[in-house]
Amino acid sequence: MDPFRNALKIGLTAALLSFGVLRASADVEPARQNRLPLAVVPGDQIVTDDVGREVKMPAEVNRIVTLAPNLTEIVYALGLADKLVGDTNECNNPPAAKSKPHVGEPQNPSLEAIVALHPDLVLATTAINRVETADALKRLGIAVYTSNGEGQTVLGILDSIQRMADLMAAKAKGADLVAQMRRRLDELHARLEDRPMIHVLFVVWLDPLTTIGQSTFIADALRWAGAESIVLSKQNWPQVSLEQVVRLQPEYLVFAGTHGESRATELTELRARPVWRDLDAVRAGHVVNLSEKAIRPSPGLVDAIEQLAHDMHPEAFTVGSGDRSPRNGKQLALERSKESIPCAR
Amino acid sequence: MRPLTARRVALVCAALGATLFVAVVISLRMGAYPISIPEIVMTLVNRFIGRPNEIPPDFWNVVYEIRLPRIALGILVGASLSTAGAGFQALLRNPLADPYVLGVSSGAALGAIISLAIAPQTAGMIQFAAFAGAGGTIAAVYFLGRRGGHVDTATLLLAGIVAVSFLSAVIMFLMTTLPGREFRGMAFWLMGDLASPPPIRSHWLYLLLVIGVGSIYTTSSDLNLILTGEQEARHLGVNVNRVKIVVYVAASLLTGLAVSVSGAIGYVGLLVPHLMRMMFGSDYRLLIPTSALGGAILIVLADLLARTVVAPTELPVGAMTALVGAPVFIYLMRRRVR
Repeated sequence: MDPFRNALKIGLTAALLSFGVLRASADVEPARQNRLPLAVVPGDQIVTDDVGREVKMPAEVNRIVTLAPNLTEIVYALGLADKLVGDTNECNNPPAAKSKPHVGEPQNPSLEAIVALHPDLVLATTAINRVETADALKRLGIAVYTSNGEGQTVLGILDSIQRMADLMAAKAKGADLVAQMRRRLDELHARLEDRPMIHVLFVVWLDPLTTIGQSTFIADALRWAGAESIVLSKQNWPQVSLEQVVRLQPEYLVFAGTHGESRATELTELRARPVWRDLDAVRAGHVVNLSEKAIRPSPGLVDAIEQLAHDMHPEAFTVGSGDRSPRNGKQLALERSKESIPCAR
Repeated sequence: MRPLTARRVALVCAALGATLFVAVVISLRMGAYPISIPEIVMTLVNRFIGRPNEIPPDFWNVVYEIRLPRIALGILVGASLSTAGAGFQALLRNPLADPYVLGVSSGAALGAIISLAIAPQTAGMIQFAAFAGAGGTIAAVYFLGRRGGHVDTATLLLAGIVAVSFLSAVIMFLMTTLPGREFRGMAFWLMGDLASPPPIRSHWLYLLLVIGVGSIYTTSSDLNLILTGEQEARHLGVNVNRVKIVVYVAASLLTGLAVSVSGAIGYVGLLVPHLMRMMFGSDYRLLIPTSALGGAILIVLADLLARTVVAPTELPVGAMTALVGAPVFIYLMRRRVR
């Protein structure tokens, strides 16, 4: 047994020694601090992102990597497609984004792939990216700007788009884009302010039945479209029971494209489903399908809000803009809209 | 028992060490960022001779900030989990014992999540909580799995299944009720993931690994005797209770250590000790060091696959080990039943 005890002693000593060597080699660290592009170069800008982190980056951003589909859409909407050098596997809008080099999934991008693209700026969002990814990129000396994705208002998203535009030296283009979105929202507001709020169930997933919380940007988008979620929850993506839905009887069901592909949930499919087929909204054909792309915190969100408003308040849009008397609902409800069949009540 | 010389231990360990070295070199070479062997050698040599300024920033980042920390973490996790597996197998006198199957990893994960909710910033807290969770779970599973004074395989595995599902339920409950986006990454982490190495320069984690493996190794000749029968071992002068406590604490420590940095990576603790037994025999004096090295090799290679097969998309390494480990588990179980 003795040779083993000895071997063990030798082994442990060797291990402790190598531990010491490792420690000593860690002292090389300070030397490289001067070498990395972290040092402030004249012309760098330091900004604070939406989550309060300081971001140091060149004043002129020429190489951008986005880590979420909505950020890719924003970069395209700002006319910066040429500067976008990489995005994620999920970035499908506009279609040209699919042919950019991908860095992996938003939740777990490949750090190496990002390094290989030499970005001046990486855009991330609290909605789907992990804080670990932002931390790791920061350690690599790569500028990461994290925008607030959920727990947001629609106007907050406009501000966020403007701030990102400023970073990427697209201030004027950003101001144009934001002003245009703002104008469309204001126009909707003018048309809808006298209309009663419509109570809806926003379905994020059908299985398990998942809806939105009151502080998400989608809840706010619904308000802009003259609707209100029947579920009040502080959680962002609460699960609800079908029983609750039966009890609350929403006037409209709004579906977001399912996770991954944007498979529109067909009314006919709902009419074949037990319990669902007996909901007032399904009987009345009050089902709106939004594309998955439309409900991202990006410029496309206003399209979705407009589509929702048109579908749920057709009477506000049918007759010439002069007619805005609120009590015409009964007559005008007979007008056919694209998605919804007139209410039989 | 086959005669075992210190020379044979050294030779086998040297061979495995060389294999590990090859695995590390391949891992350093492969990845989403293209980098050649001469470039890697240049990067390593320049740092070694104290000229880090000669290294292009990209190579520095890819080699020292991304790949090496990940490989080092893989070695830490693989060595911890497979040594813990070998330890639990001896402690419970059951070859199917594995930190993941017995719920010990889930217990450690629960501990880690609770510590993240209570004291997210305290250094070392998460490791301690994971260790406590692991220790608590293995004790519970052990007592649940005991029948009439000895541990019965079927009861033990059932106790493990119960522990896994109960702990998963608690984790699920905490993840849905606790607010905050820190918990978003959890679902990923629970699958077993090496993509986010701990932020601190954590050499002390490796010291814990050496202590854990070392203390199990000190008991290896006693473990050999205990495995032939506890009574016999007592008669030969082995302090069975002391050995059991040492192995119990050290194996829990190793599991907690691995889970706290990488989540629950399954089946390593089962797969590796079995492979090593098949290759080198079941003498614990050889089994403990070969398991540690073999576990390191397995995880380094599994993570290499996880980050290259569908690059740039990365898979959780736990998915890779479960893909290989689960069928082997079934095979071992059926072979025992026959």
